[in-house]
Amino acid sequence: MSTPLDPPKGNWWDNPVNRRESIWLGIAGIWSLAIFGWMSGFTRFGDQNPVGETYEVDPQEQWARTQEYLDEAETIEIDGVDAVIPPDDSVYITGYRFAWEGLPVALEAGKQYDLHLGAYDVQHGFSVRPEQSLSQQINLQIFPDTEWIVPMTFEDPDTYHVICNEYCGSGHNGMHGKFFVREEL
Amino acid sequence: MKLLSHFDNDYDEDGFRTCSVTGLDIHQDAERYVKLYGVTAVIALVFGGIFALTVALTRWEVVSLISEQNYYRHLSMHAWNILIFWMVFMEIAILYVGGPMVLGRKLPLPKIAGLGYLIMLIGAIGVNWAIWTTPPGADAPLLTAYVPLEVATEFYAFAIIFLLGATVAALPFFAAIWLEKRGNPGKTLPLVAFGAFITSIIAVQAILGGIAAFGYAFLWRIEILDTINTGVYRQLYWIIGHGSQQINLLAMITVWYFLTHVVGGAVVVSEKVSRSAFVLYLFFINLGAAHHLMVDPGVSVGWRVFNTSYAFYGAAFASMIHAFAIPAGLEAGRRQRGKGGGLFGWLTSAPWKNPVFSSTIFSIILFGFVGGITGVLMGQLQLNMTWHNTFATVGHFHGTVALGTSLAFFGLVFFVTKTMFRRDFISTKLAQIIPYFYAGAMGIATLLMMYVGILYGVPRRTSSVVENIPGTDFSIAAAELLFIPLGLGAVLAIVAGALFIVVTVASLLFGKRLEDGDDGGLLPDGGIAATDGGITTEEIHATDMRGTFTLCLIFMATFVLLYILNWFLLTQLWQIGA
Repeated sequence: MSTPLDPPKGNWWDNPVNRRESIWLGIAGIWSLAIFGWMSGFTRFGDQNPVGETYEVDPQEQWARTQEYLDEAETIEIDGVDAVIPPDDSVYITGYRFAWEGLPVALEAGKQYDLHLGAYDVQHGFSVRPEQSLSQQINLQIFPDTEWIVPMTFEDPDTYHVICNEYCGSGHNGMHGKFFVREEL
Repeated sequence: MKLLSHFDNDYDEDGFRTCSVTGLDIHQDAERYVKLYGVTAVIALVFGGIFALTVALTRWEVVSLISEQNYYRHLSMHAWNILIFWMVFMEIAILYVGGPMVLGRKLPLPKIAGLGYLIMLIGAIGVNWAIWTTPPGADAPLLTAYVPLEVATEFYAFAIIFLLGATVAALPFFAAIWLEKRGNPGKTLPLVAFGAFITSIIAVQAILGGIAAFGYAFLWRIEILDTINTGVYRQLYWIIGHGSQQINLLAMITVWYFLTHVVGGAVVVSEKVSRSAFVLYLFFINLGAAHHLMVDPGVSVGWRVFNTSYAFYGAAFASMIHAFAIPAGLEAGRRQRGKGGGLFGWLTSAPWKNPVFSSTIFSIILFGFVGGITGVLMGQLQLNMTWHNTFATVGHFHGTVALGTSLAFFGLVFFVTKTMFRRDFISTKLAQIIPYFYAGAMGIATLLMMYVGILYGVPRRTSSVVENIPGTDFSIAAAELLFIPLGLGAVLAIVAGALFIVVTVASLLFGKRLEDGDDGGLLPDGGIAATDGGITTEEIHATDMRGTFTLCLIFMATFVLLYILNWFLLTQLWQIGA
């Protein structure tokens, strides 16, 4: 008899495996490969992948680029606040303690934008959800020394709320921004 | 010394005694250090538990106990004391059980065991001090001490000291394995010793990563390095951040094999299969550190997909092997001793009134269904976007650590109370209800954390935001109602944890001394060796395991269902990514 406290006796490697245990090994093995295949395949055929080009960037440079973008952009008043209208497909959103530079921004529904995500100081969390549907939410990690360009297309017009979900210091609770997705601007 | 002798046992002239429950030959040094490390772990649990209460009562915003200025200190204290100190002190004790005790050897290098303990203690007290003296509003470390936050320099220094101490403390274990193999070439280690050995290798990998990460940050804090790279720190940090939790996983699984055998009468149904699963862990489990980097910039898709899947789910496959092998061991062992009528008779007739047994079984079930499945789900590259840094993440690791590992360790502490301290429970009734009470309350809290995290996007690492985000009308107040059962569940789980401490401590101090030969009611019906002798290994392999097979099919169905649900939710999102 085998117990976990005694050394196994004889040629234990060649002992047969119970039939049901063998079947389970098969099921578990197939499932393991299946979920690997699905995840891997989804990067090719799927519409939701946390993937985009990244660049190392100095926070000063990130600041300069964001300012240049903001200077070029026009603004539009929505819900009583001035929202940035991106001059082209690029949208700069940069986190710093405790706000989001570049927000609020106004975006067109159904148009693909390149979100340039970065930070000036410490790590932040880019956590987005539409106001009308809280369960549709995504979260990306933001670095101070890296610019991440993630394409996104928002289909549903709504007000989208961004909160910081990486601890960035005392004051982190109030780090909120929003953007407006509208059929037309 | 009088106080210490209260806890001592009688040994023969070589310093050994025979355990009346397991039949193991136990050396006095090994036993004394297991007790010392174990008691220290429980003290860390008390500290961490106190801060569990302040954290829970802050996140339950109806109470809002701690201001934002102070909240992160409390959160850091909770994280380090429970996730690191309670776990790692216990794990050193487990190494000394799994090595010297199981092998019937002396503890080699007892002075090194003492030195390791001292260094770990200095590290642990230092980390607590560094966290607690963080001025209100300044950057608290939390678990991760992410750069470039300006976390106290001493924090990194003491964290390194603690890790070095754990390395020193593990040396006597390595020496025991070395001496055993040198003295008995060609003899196979018992499964529990083998599991402990793999655990210790995983631990070394994790510790090296931790020393690299905290060392890197420390050099930057004392201005030897001018700049620090966020992504590099995160990669190094998660070798320990996730690796430490893999130590917990392997230690827990080793404890599962151990306790299901000694209090349930389980056998090993296949040495080959169970050991292969441990070897898979050895190669693949630490790749799981990448789970934390799924939505980071700067890491390629191929790197993320390969690592997050532990290379084609090698480690998840290993866990599913143990998910069958451990209950199957119980089923086979109990059927062999005539306790297995019908599909689940072996389970329903099991010693459910023994808290060591019930803790272990709840740990297995809840770890698998709650912690394990969610870990694989959130570790998928794309699904991680919906889990990362939400309260659901907190739910996941309460499923693994608070339900899985802590419950298994509760069982082990109960076991050690009787077998090593030789004390009866101060109240058997109270001890009996603790696993049920804790598993129920913590189970509810954990499931609700996931629910509010995924379906309401409630973030982690914040003192408020559900009711009120300062400076805006927007809030996540829709989730507010769910925080009532969540808050109650959390508070009740803490009460159950406190009860566990009270019963344990009171039993140590005032419990009736168990006489030599008294098993304290721990042994399974018919004794631990009931199937020894007449039953051959072949008969064990041929034993009916249909109950376990059914349970595993239920597990798989749950897994598939949750997988589909999570992917359905993800595909409802807008288009993201290149």
